[in-house]
Amino acid sequence: MPGKPDYPGGGEGRRVPTKPNKWSPASGQLDTTRTRDRLVEGPMAEDTQEPLAGAGALREALRALLPPTKEELALELGENVERSVVQLLQEAAELFCGGRRSECLQASEAILDYSWERLNTGPWRDVHKDWRRVYAFGCLLKAVCLCEEPGDTTAVAAALKVCDMGLLMGAAILGDILIKVAAILQAHLRSGKRPGPGPAQEPPSMKKARYDPVSVPDMMSERTVPRLHCPSLEHFRKYFLVPGRPVILEGVADQWPCMKRWSLEYIQEIAGCRTVPVEVGSRYTDEEWSQTLMTVNEFISRHIRSEPKDVGYLAQHQLFDQIPELRQDISIPDYCCLGDGAEEEITINAWFGPQGTVSPLHQDPQQNFLVQESEALYPHETHLLHNTSQVDVENPDLDKFPRFAEAPSLSCILSPGEILFIPLQYWHYVRALDLSFSVSFWWS
Amino acid sequence: MAEERRGSWFGFGFCGFGQAPGSGRGRQVLSPEPLQTPGSGADVRRVSASWSYTALVTRGGQVRLSGAAGGAAGGCRDAWASEALLVVLRAGPGRGAGPELQAWAPASAMRGEPLWARALGPEAEAEGAARGEPPAGAARGEPPAGAPPLLPLLPGARAYVSPRPPFCRALAPELRARRLELGAEHALLLDEAGQVFSWGQGRHGQLGHGSLEAEPEPRLLEALQGLPVAEVAAGGWHSVCVSETGDIYIWGWNESGQLALPSRSLAEDTKTIPREASGLNEDGSEVRRTARGEDGAPAPFIAIQPFPALLDLPLGADAVKASCGSRHTAVVTGTGELYTWGWGKYGQLGHKDTTSLDRPCRVEYFVDKQLQVRAVSCGPWNTYVYAVEKEGS
Repeated sequence: MPGKPDYPGGGEGRRVPTKPNKWSPASGQLDTTRTRDRLVEGPMAEDTQEPLAGAGALREALRALLPPTKEELALELGENVERSVVQLLQEAAELFCGGRRSECLQASEAILDYSWERLNTGPWRDVHKDWRRVYAFGCLLKAVCLCEEPGDTTAVAAALKVCDMGLLMGAAILGDILIKVAAILQAHLRSGKRPGPGPAQEPPSMKKARYDPVSVPDMMSERTVPRLHCPSLEHFRKYFLVPGRPVILEGVADQWPCMKRWSLEYIQEIAGCRTVPVEVGSRYTDEEWSQTLMTVNEFISRHIRSEPKDVGYLAQHQLFDQIPELRQDISIPDYCCLGDGAEEEITINAWFGPQGTVSPLHQDPQQNFLVQESEALYPHETHLLHNTSQVDVENPDLDKFPRFAEAPSLSCILSPGEILFIPLQYWHYVRALDLSFSVSFWWS
Repeated sequence: MAEERRGSWFGFGFCGFGQAPGSGRGRQVLSPEPLQTPGSGADVRRVSASWSYTALVTRGGQVRLSGAAGGAAGGCRDAWASEALLVVLRAGPGRGAGPELQAWAPASAMRGEPLWARALGPEAEAEGAARGEPPAGAARGEPPAGAPPLLPLLPGARAYVSPRPPFCRALAPELRARRLELGAEHALLLDEAGQVFSWGQGRHGQLGHGSLEAEPEPRLLEALQGLPVAEVAAGGWHSVCVSETGDIYIWGWNESGQLALPSRSLAEDTKTIPREASGLNEDGSEVRRTARGEDGAPAPFIAIQPFPALLDLPLGADAVKASCGSRHTAVVTGTGELYTWGWGKYGQLGHKDTTSLDRPCRVEYFVDKQLQVRAVSCGPWNTYVYAVEKEGS
């Protein structure tokens, strides 16, 4: 019988895969990876309030980016987008070019709200790309209109948040203009920012003190993943890629700029005010697991620096598409050229979180290079029945899953500068033993 | 019983395309305004609103459009507005011929040729008459509530119209549909026995079967089995039904509080009315300070409610009618009051502001004007209300 509202598992209503997932492999094969869409929520407020110098310079820089005429400030859209929406887009562009910013803002809001509803209708993979472009367009106009006033940091931060929403859920428009707008806004915010508060010099390795050796999983079989130092392309291809065997590559990534450069302070400086999706909860198979948006600063302060209430994980996010400045610090492993796909089709994901983040046992439909940027990581592979296993690898229920005991497996600890090759569809389980930033490359 | 006075229609919410009630200038109307219609407002017996335009159906059989789509046409007994299609039910060409279903591009102003048309055959008419549906071209003086709006359910209730292809969809013969409502990605059906069925996407809990799985075919809502339901309404991603005893059951997505359950995004929104405001609302409901359950303990926020939850209106009022917009809900009570809740950004709740609410609030306008609300019909981002003057006022 119906009763008072009660959600199974308690806590916040289950934010299970309901919202658009922008973070899908570029090849378009989405749902077989971690079989998740992303929930995108309203972002939380930044709290800096300082008035910013150079507001006029900001307006000029933005104006220079945008097409000057309403004919050029337009999208080519197919018939999936109704005439009424096209009409509203044209009206908004006209208002913008006519300098009627507050009316343009109103029109942009309506564009955003309507396209947002379309993005949430039906499975993400069926959402037509034109709707994502419309959404991005709404974000663009809104962001630029918000910066119209010689505002304080709050307005610019809000505009950057809007850009990030357009990058996270929209699709590229007008020559990837949102990336450029975001870069300008970000630079503007950084130039006016005071130095970060608090114990800024705290090194990430301080977290090492919390590493508890007792929590290392009890392995069924202790075979470890073999290691090679800079193998030739042919050797890698013949002995690991073709037969589908995991291997750790040493000496390949250890000279990447990120190895020396990346620290919490650096990340915050480059990307602190950017909005990113964060998974909250021990693992995505839990009922209490949810996804939300927050800035990188908020993520670091809430889930990394302080004693976090719950586990937060910036996982499976194409951070380097969103923030090209970080992209310069990494390289694509040469071995990816052994695949069939073009370099642009390689999906690069960031995985950033504190000790204890877990990716439950699952498989991906592409080859994977997992590069450990900092601290230690503990992957483990085994056979199974579904895309994501029902087995809790670290505490397997052998009554329910008796054959898990026989499943052959490999284990390893991945240290900074090392690359783990996870073959196509190889089941893997990953737990961070310490504060960790990893980058994965999905290629075919 | 005293004779029912003629009432009129009011509207509030989004009118960014100049549709009623906007005069073409403002983007939203935050408090109910009478609809400006030629002749008296009592002439309109049904309102069907899409996002960018609104269709009014008069007793005289005229369909009048306002907003991104304009124009008018006669000989129509029902209309159903969507962004892709304007569907109208027109009297058939001759005596004895059944009604004709026509689908028009909204921008065509119903001139020229429809996108497609389908004769429904005299059987549809006959079957409809047996069920108490008014014959085509009826122009009687009963209040709009007396003539059951049927579209998107077709006369005869063997099929319904969809804004996406296939445009005409058959219903299984064993389903005796009384009413059918379409959400953004789901459908609700109320049958002659007062049972509710749902199908379509379920990822937001809008099907009410307790899971997030999609259902390809109409599936009975077991949670409501045995409860005679009088009315169903579908929002974008949520569902509402009203039982014959006046209880409201609601389920689906609560991202803007449209289920009247605690919504996290509303609690965190800095524009929300501060929950520290104390005391009672005028309608007697207690202002909630934080998300709290009945026993005062902190209640969890709920984003998705996958099976029906009973909703109490303030002061124990009983519901008779319900309608849902994309992300808001409106309910008419037996005593002629209107309650709204959910997404309010465009004034669609009618509380003179743009605040979203996760609890039912009475629309004071009708109380102040001594009007009895009789019917409500929501567009995606706006709300249309039919009200009559109170007797003896």
